[in-house]
Amino acid sequence: MRRRVLPLFCLVACLALGTPAIAQEGHPLTGTWGGDWGPTATQRNHVTFVMNWDGEKVTGVINPGPDQAPLASVFLDVTNWTVRIEADAKDAGGKPVRVIAEGKLEDISSPHRRIAGTWRQGTTNGDFRITRD
Amino acid sequence: MNHHGVKALTMAVGTVLAVALVSAQPPASATYDRERKVTLQGPVTRIDWVNPNAFVFINVRDAAGVTTNWAVQVGNALDLERDGWKRSSLKIGDVIAVEGIPARGPRRQALATSVSLAGKRVFAPPAKRPPAPAAAPAPRWPDGQVRLGPAPGRKGYWGAASANALVESTASKVPMNEDGLLLNLADADKVAPFKPWAKAVYEQRQRELLKDDPAGRCLPAGGPRQFHTPNGFQFIEQRELGRILVLLGGGDRNWRVIHTDGRQQMPAAELVLTYYGNSVGRWEKDTLVVDSVGYNERFWFTNGGLPHTEALHLTERFSRPDLNTLRYDVTVDDPRTYTRPWTGGWTVRWVPDEDLKEYFCEDNAESTFIR
Repeated sequence: MRRRVLPLFCLVACLALGTPAIAQEGHPLTGTWGGDWGPTATQRNHVTFVMNWDGEKVTGVINPGPDQAPLASVFLDVTNWTVRIEADAKDAGGKPVRVIAEGKLEDISSPHRRIAGTWRQGTTNGDFRITRD
Repeated sequence: MNHHGVKALTMAVGTVLAVALVSAQPPASATYDRERKVTLQGPVTRIDWVNPNAFVFINVRDAAGVTTNWAVQVGNALDLERDGWKRSSLKIGDVIAVEGIPARGPRRQALATSVSLAGKRVFAPPAKRPPAPAAAPAPRWPDGQVRLGPAPGRKGYWGAASANALVESTASKVPMNEDGLLLNLADADKVAPFKPWAKAVYEQRQRELLKDDPAGRCLPAGGPRQFHTPNGFQFIEQRELGRILVLLGGGDRNWRVIHTDGRQQMPAAELVLTYYGNSVGRWEKDTLVVDSVGYNERFWFTNGGLPHTEALHLTERFSRPDLNTLRYDVTVDDPRTYTRPWTGGWTVRWVPDEDLKEYFCEDNAESTFIR
């Protein structure tokens, strides 16, 4: 029993300690963001954004790894916290396809700030929601 | 589940609760609504004479005869005792009258501006102390170098700062409260030469009354904010080790290291980014010049919510024109956040013959109010 309880203790404690996001008080887009996008509420695709403000522009990728899509442009309108992100992805057949995500930055003071809005990937339209990790 | 299993699970749940109960200490502006006043009267039911904030609880009966219990924050217990109000000044059952500032939202909580017992005022926030006379010269080491700490055989530390937040020194006076909250948000442009995103973030924080200040979650703050904390700081000059320790009396009550052994500053890209950065100091005549880089982005470097990025580079200048005065100036260079380097500063008053008081960032209040 003791052998089973110790991992349980570690699991619970680690979950509790690991949950809070690391605060990031600099540029509101900088960081790693996770969420999903899809054409319907049931057809969803996991998505990860990695963004970094270099002082002039926001650079980064969508879904880092072998199939990552570099960000082509990121525009943040600080008057209303709307953001437009364009990236060069590839479809299932390997053909280039432009991703355009437009949304609104919400709860910007929180380490768990969010962006939600519309997603267009080639001819597919949908929505997306990402939260800063 | 056997005894060990229950114990282990209890520890785990305890760990969860402990994490949850490490509660915040947001700026007073976020907690209390200074636009309103409240008058309360009733018997004392409890006295929490603790740091960082002492509370007196009273039962208040309204016009309809309904009694509710109010928490009245009266200040830091150590400060109160220094100003003559003792733990025994009030007793359970004493009927007191309180004038104060109510908390925002539905909480039955107030920040006292006056407490009276039987018509006699027993508490009022202490008036600002007059500056100590500047007659005495700054103490010096045998080689003539200015000491930033006390003279040999003496005590003392650096206390109140002359400014509540960092503002560019070329700006005209920018009115703000003790939390660095602008009285007029239109003054934001005077505070610093912001890039557009940074100004928007700063204004957002101001509009939200600084409620998400990381210091309110007891995260340490690096940079200039260390030198306008309410609880002071002290320099320990370890010349034989080639370093100066800055003991911080508030916040997390820890210390910062300034290397004075002649080393060169590290490239920021090679540093582990930290709250206090990597500080290298050198003396230019009677001024200690400290170059710091390597800051993380997890804190606000001054009251009021000025943003910064990992590119933050600070050049701080400390001088002591007389025994009782420390002059602090800092040049902020963060090209990702500000359009150009800019400088601000203030003076800090010496508190003679006293030591830094015990003051830890915690909040004894939040868990108290969970009913």
